[in-house]
Amino acid sequence: MQESQQVSSQSVEKPKVAIIACAGMDKALGSVARTTAFIVTEKLRPDNTLLVCIPPLVADVKPNAELIKKYPVVTIDGCAERCATKIVAKAGARIRGRIFVPQSAQTYNLKPNTASDIGQEGEKLAEKIAEETAVLVSKLCEGGLK
Amino acid sequence: MIMALSKDKVGIICCSGEEFPEGTISRVATRLVLEKLKPDETVTLCLPLFLAGGEDERAFARVFPTIAVDGCSKKCAELGTTKFSGKPVATIVVSEIMKNHPELKAKSREKLDAQEMQLAMKVAEEIEKKVDEVLCKKVNK
Repeated sequence: MQESQQVSSQSVEKPKVAIIACAGMDKALGSVARTTAFIVTEKLRPDNTLLVCIPPLVADVKPNAELIKKYPVVTIDGCAERCATKIVAKAGARIRGRIFVPQSAQTYNLKPNTASDIGQEGEKLAEKIAEETAVLVSKLCEGGLK
Repeated sequence: MIMALSKDKVGIICCSGEEFPEGTISRVATRLVLEKLKPDETVTLCLPLFLAGGEDERAFARVFPTIAVDGCSKKCAELGTTKFSGKPVATIVVSEIMKNHPELKAKSREKLDAQEMQLAMKVAEEIEKKVDEVLCKKVNK
């Protein structure tokens, strides 16, 4: 009985959303994007999300390219270049949500320190954006990920 | 951007991969080089921007030597740089350096503990060595 329950829970795949953050090296808001992605995928929605690296999508590394075609994608961009969105769109993903960190920074009036150390305000900003992203993930999962 | 640089610089392009702790080590090590070990000799190129088509980043990598810092054996930073600008003069792979320091583990993708910072410093020192080699070669040419 126990064994069959285990097998059945394993065979039903939970709905997943791929989270792709810019993680830009140059800007503090890029580091906030990266931190946000970690909070969503590790703390707020670990069962319904997967974190996908950007570079392999362009470097033609297969598993990553397949993942973003299989699952709906939410991008988190740290600056106006919107590299995460551009790269993911070019790679043929289904983008279902876009988070723009500079806009959230204005909305919440929080300013991160530097790219190396986003500081308390940066951490707080990442948490706020992560909460918004988590809500978006839930909506996407409830909506059947169409 | 290039016109404003009056002396030799080396571009550091790190993978900053989010999927593995080694990606975070590559990122922190790169920042250690830029901010502490070689602030006057190095600049960083944002890999996502580079890959998305950032012409300034790509032009820099065509003119100046670059060092790729990759977290894992996929070597995305090296592959991406080669694809759009030219092969980096050197590639540092964190997972390879870790083989020489089995006592140091990479566990976290977000914040590094003291042991992980030690590992990041080891990687940073390897990058620093490569920067010195590259600049020395340029001077001797």
